Amino acid sequence: MSLAAEAFMSQMAAAEPWPENATLYQPLKEDQILLSDCASSLAVQAYLRMCGLPVQVVYRANAEYMSPSGKIPFIHVGNQVVSELGPIVQFTKAKGHSLSDGLDDVQRAEMKAYMELVNNMLLTAELYIQWCDDSTATEISRPRYSSPYSWPLNKILAYQKQWEVRRKMNAIGWGGKTLEQVYEDVSQCCQALSQRLGTQSYFFNKQPTELDALVFGHLFTILTTRLTSTELAERIKSYSNLLSFCRRIEQTYFEDKSS
Amino acid sequence: ISTIYIQFSCNLDPLPMHGPELGVQADDIDAPEMEQEPKQEVLENKDVVVQRVHIDGLGRTKEDLLTYEISDVFQAKNLIDVMRKSHEARQKLLRLGIFRKVEVVIDTSRGEDALPNGLDVTFEVTELRRMTGSYNTMVGNNEGSMVLGLKLPNVLGRAEKLTFQFSYGTKETSYGLSVFKPQPGNFERNITLNAYKVTGQFPWSSLRETDRGISAELSFPVWKTSQTLKWEGVWRELGCLARTASFSIREESGHSLKSSLSHAMVIDTRNSSILPRKGGLLKIHQELAGYTGGDASFLKEDFEIQLNKTLFWDSVLSASLWGGLLLPIGDKPTSIADRFYLGGPTSMGPQSEGDYLGGEAYWAGGLHLYTPLPFRPGMGGFGDLFRTHFFLNAGNLCNLNYGEGPQAHLKKLAECIRWSYGLGIVLRLGNIARLELNYCIPMGVQSGDRICDGVQFGAGIRFL
Repeated sequence: MSLAAEAFMSQMAAAEPWPENATLYQPLKEDQILLSDCASSLAVQAYLRMCGLPVQVVYRANAEYMSPSGKIPFIHVGNQVVSELGPIVQFTKAKGHSLSDGLDDVQRAEMKAYMELVNNMLLTAELYIQWCDDSTATEISRPRYSSPYSWPLNKILAYQKQWEVRRKMNAIGWGGKTLEQVYEDVSQCCQALSQRLGTQSYFFNKQPTELDALVFGHLFTILTTRLTSTELAERIKSYSNLLSFCRRIEQTYFEDKSS
Repeated sequence: ISTIYIQFSCNLDPLPMHGPELGVQADDIDAPEMEQEPKQEVLENKDVVVQRVHIDGLGRTKEDLLTYEISDVFQAKNLIDVMRKSHEARQKLLRLGIFRKVEVVIDTSRGEDALPNGLDVTFEVTELRRMTGSYNTMVGNNEGSMVLGLKLPNVLGRAEKLTFQFSYGTKETSYGLSVFKPQPGNFERNITLNAYKVTGQFPWSSLRETDRGISAELSFPVWKTSQTLKWEGVWRELGCLARTASFSIREESGHSLKSSLSHAMVIDTRNSSILPRKGGLLKIHQELAGYTGGDASFLKEDFEIQLNKTLFWDSVLSASLWGGLLLPIGDKPTSIADRFYLGGPTSMGPQSEGDYLGGEAYWAGGLHLYTPLPFRPGMGGFGDLFRTHFFLNAGNLCNLNYGEGPQAHLKKLAECIRWSYGLGIVLRLGNIARLELNYCIPMGVQSGDRICDGVQFGAGIRFL
């Protein structure tokens, strides 16, 4: 977000406390939502639970189109609508809730770098596997994405989305990669995360930060989502400290939620 | 059948009748009044037989299409009848929309089989060009666009018409293709196929809508009415026009598919559709969506009634009533793309945070008195295109609450009526549209309505 937009949002947000009826919107859980959106949504939910901010999850078939940026998830707080983890973190900070206040500048820069790593590697890999791998696209992504709509609109929207994502992959240079290379990238990303985590409970000291929420969102979703092959989940399972990290966060913050 | 001309030996010239000019309105021309001349009495009593009716000047038009339109001329029994029937046949040929000009020449028969009282009637026609194109640039509302139009009248020789319009703009592109085919011999029975993409922006609702659709329409007359059956499939895409759009509008964003069957019945006895002087209009339209596929599922009814009567001093009293009802079928709520709107930029009805959401039921009524301009400047010419008008409008728009039943709905529509009155000047634009400049005084306004009192300017086709 630009500086001016950030300043504006801070001013708007600081005006009111967090309301009871804050809602988070995402696509339908059972039939529609895809891996990447589910991961992003879980990351935001984990972050809000870590901050102790109550939020209700609402499922809408047109959540992607309702979002001001076109990305899932987005929250409706008071009369403001904010989408994606980055802006949501800024928004809660303006209201006085933050998880990364205790970090010094070096650590904060490190945190941002790792979050960028997760977004550029894990999220992109998820998108690649969903839309650029033909078997996954045909068996899972297209049918799920188009499930709320009737023929022929469902076909049109699914192919439109696939074409859009493939174009984006080509633009960032992932178009030429093979599935094996993508799995390798995921492994490398997990290795970096695993090394940083080490034997600690969370990435920074004993307190979770937005990085923990983001990593949890992606890893947990990959581990619990059925794809055409279990290769991706296997790669993550080979790092045991990441597995126990996910289990720990699930038990601490989501124990009332059935997994 | 060969054509032979014999010059009239008397002074009666053949009546020259010209094709449609832009300034002359077809519905203003009544059948030509016959001036009574002594010679005419002789002719009127004289029995004639129309031996030949011929059409000159055909290029690509197929003759079998035209025989139906001109066949009536053979029925004429005397000269005045021949003239009248020829005029009617000329009108029929013009309404096909394939001729630029039609002239009628009535002459006595010549040749071997010519009867002493035989007549030949010839229609001299000029066909429209095979293809006409237009190109416009439009600038307005922070947007520029270029509009290309293409019209092919009479494509295959039987009055089929193909129209194509394409608009390419800085913000949006839209296009439309239309194919029209009448039944030969029965022009009022016709079929139209359309394919289009249109975009609309509705600032009073902070809504942007893009529609891509195809439709097939069948029209046919039944007794005095015109009936239309239509199937339409539309892919609608709704979006917010601004970041400040209300959440209710945001919730409507996204895609939906409507596949609907509709039926319309029109009885129109007015002499003109723009500033009628007499006659009435009744239009009833119903649309059923959801049974032929698609997401949207509803039953929609609307009607329009208009009555006109000419009073003393060349003034016209016009009363109109519109109404409509939208009933969703199933448990999904109605989409804003299907609801009714009343008021345009001066909107009213259900709203949320400043955005008007449209209503599921409405009615609107108007009473107008049209008079010529005071002191009749420019009478007989340009001044005739202007009228002053006094009006009284009323209406209501609301949502339906299904627990309550029809009595409650009627009661809800009857209370909280908005109404306004005023006066202004109307300018008639050809046979297509009209411009209005009005001074309006709103009364009976409900909270949340946007009021624009004072001077209002509008242009359009459909006015209350």
